[in-house]
Amino acid sequence: MKAKKIIKSVLRHGFLVVLCTIWLVPIVWIVLTSFSTDPGINIRNFFPEEYTLVNYHKLVFGSDTVSQFPNWFKNTLIVAIATCIISTSFVLMVAYAMSCMRFKARKTLMNLSVTINLFPGVLAMIAVYFVLKNAGLTNSHLGLVLVYSGSAGLGYLIAKGFFDTVPTTLREAATIDGASEARIFFRVVIPMSKPIIVYTIINSFLVPWADFVYAKLILNSGISSDWTVSIGLYNMLDRTLINHYFAQFCAGGVLVSIPISILFVIMQKFYVEGITNGAVKG
Amino acid sequence: MSKKNKSQANAMDDRMVAVEKEPNLFKAAFLALKNGDWAVKCSALWMGAGYLARKQYVKALIMTLYEVAMLAFIFVVGMPYLADFGTLGTVQLEYVFNMQTMKNEMNDYDNSFTILLFSVITFVAIVILFFSWLANLRAVHKLQKRAEAGKHINSFKEDVKSYLNEKFHITLLSLPVAGVVVFTVVPLIILIAVAFTNYDQQHMPPDSLFDWVGIENFTRLFTNGLTATFGYSFKTVLTWTLIWAFFATFSNYFLGIMLAKFLLNKKTKFPKFWRTIFVVTIAVPQFVTLLLIRNFLSDSGIVNSLFAQAGITDFLKDIGLVAEHLDYVPFLSSPGWAKVMVIIINIWVGVPYQMLVATGVLLNIPADMTESAKIDGANEWHSFWKITMPYMFAVTGPTLVTDFVRNINNFNVIYLLTQDVYVTTNQSLALSKAKEIDLLVTWLFRLTQENYNYKMASVIGIMVFIICAIFTLVAFRSLTKGDKERMFQ
Repeated sequence: MKAKKIIKSVLRHGFLVVLCTIWLVPIVWIVLTSFSTDPGINIRNFFPEEYTLVNYHKLVFGSDTVSQFPNWFKNTLIVAIATCIISTSFVLMVAYAMSCMRFKARKTLMNLSVTINLFPGVLAMIAVYFVLKNAGLTNSHLGLVLVYSGSAGLGYLIAKGFFDTVPTTLREAATIDGASEARIFFRVVIPMSKPIIVYTIINSFLVPWADFVYAKLILNSGISSDWTVSIGLYNMLDRTLINHYFAQFCAGGVLVSIPISILFVIMQKFYVEGITNGAVKG
Repeated sequence: MSKKNKSQANAMDDRMVAVEKEPNLFKAAFLALKNGDWAVKCSALWMGAGYLARKQYVKALIMTLYEVAMLAFIFVVGMPYLADFGTLGTVQLEYVFNMQTMKNEMNDYDNSFTILLFSVITFVAIVILFFSWLANLRAVHKLQKRAEAGKHINSFKEDVKSYLNEKFHITLLSLPVAGVVVFTVVPLIILIAVAFTNYDQQHMPPDSLFDWVGIENFTRLFTNGLTATFGYSFKTVLTWTLIWAFFATFSNYFLGIMLAKFLLNKKTKFPKFWRTIFVVTIAVPQFVTLLLIRNFLSDSGIVNSLFAQAGITDFLKDIGLVAEHLDYVPFLSSPGWAKVMVIIINIWVGVPYQMLVATGVLLNIPADMTESAKIDGANEWHSFWKITMPYMFAVTGPTLVTDFVRNINNFNVIYLLTQDVYVTTNQSLALSKAKEIDLLVTWLFRLTQENYNYKMASVIGIMVFIICAIFTLVAFRSLTKGDKERMFQ
């Protein structure tokens, strides 16, 4: 009986090891390649023959016409912080209004937001490009921030679901105590909503790091010092460049992933709480 | 607990509706025009008049400035464009030789796109002005009634304060809604309009004009010609889009739940450790992992050389999965392989995320439900399908619908994995710039980027919307038919 149990447990964990291996292979490969002495793709072996830090050194200190990683990182960070502030405020504002307040246009606005969300984002994106071009905002980081955060209010549903779980009695009590709606928002609901705020902040902060298409569309001048990380790294994989820059691409991928991973693992608890409460009870 | 809150909220809702029973905006404005005093009637022309009569000077000033600004924009900026809206411009760009400067100079040409853009903006401005005009009439009429009844009339300070209290929603919503209008609604209206024009490579502003063509583009999407094969391509791409959305959604959904369940099982040691490994893969930006996998699996990539060394390529050839003339596995470059691979890679991308979500939901399953099933002698497999899945379905059903729509529009996975890698050999598809592996959204994107065919891209975009809308309506209707949530309360 006991032997059977042990075998079952070994099988169970063996299966997990296999799964984790599958999931980690690309990640391990990117890390290994980033330390490779071969600047291009090694297509013969999974493990590089020799290890070196030269790719990281080149990436951080040796900017050339193709690789401008420090600039890209700075650009993306600035865009991400600005996007994060605007998007998070928009999402929380809309979510509170839709969840905790009752007004006439509420249902109409909610239905409209659902309808608008059904249009493919790519379609709006193409037109946004023309609007920004007419406003002279292409090839500027401000334009990019506006694109990322302008419509952020549409993504309020999960946060609304979370606010719905804040007991109504609490808000009613505050109203009886003479608190205004603004006060309830800032002093009652926001302090109780840490998980969803963290969730929203992480999500909106990650948008500029993950997005590729908008950035490519809007920062199209070809001046590589203006780019964000994603277009810069994508460009390294161009047919003519890949054999000299693939290892640097991997190093860049690792450097971008480290802060994001740390953020993610620390915030994992909030993340799960925020999204499940929001998604389930909405 | 949530149910109780909801019913409370609903009760509150009903009460508020009962209190708010008043005529709608149009009727209220009409009544204001009919029954209001001279100041209210004046407000129909001069929006500040009603406030001035009640000594609300600051508000009167603000409304006056607002009205002047809006009218100035509409008439000075917008009208010249709006006048050309019917033709989208008539003067083609030409170079005229100027005798004075001895140079070729551009004539005063029309730019069809600018005309369209500013016309739409002006339309939106007119609509906004119209509704604020109605709302203004109602507001000043209310003010008149308050004044006649001898009730207190707000000072400007009190008015401002009300925007932090009972009118707080206006304060909260105005900026986000403005953002949505500028960055989503106006662009969408423009592109919907483009679907009815001939804006393509032959009609590119500023060099040439484009014009209204009615529903010609829509009929083109459903017909085939010798050189225009949009009908065929649309059918092919649409079929694959739906197949993709189905498999991408359900594979992630079920595998995510199973993985979550597996990790939550008491017999699994160190669940936190395993979960963290999966979470790390989410944290690496998608474009990095996808581009990496693309090179990992490329025709001359590392997997192919390892496969060749190990003899797997030959084995796949023998059983007929790889064509005879190839000496590599066309993971992302032949239709069959690529379609299976993108779905598998999508599982790799999406399952950890789905696992996180499912973990949270599973933790909320009342323990007594699974306990009692255990006592009744149900084995794990049985209780998974009879208790866990129905519960998951009831709570996460709606997200399944939104996930399906999101996958129809899943641009990143397909584009990053197959752009520059996948080349179609199907002439009919190539003529309309489509590929077997394309989703409708990647197709429309490449139509604009590689072919400048904005008219057909817009038509496809509208079709995507229609498909998503129909699907969502049908799905939500069947989801809300029986209140499944109640079963588990």
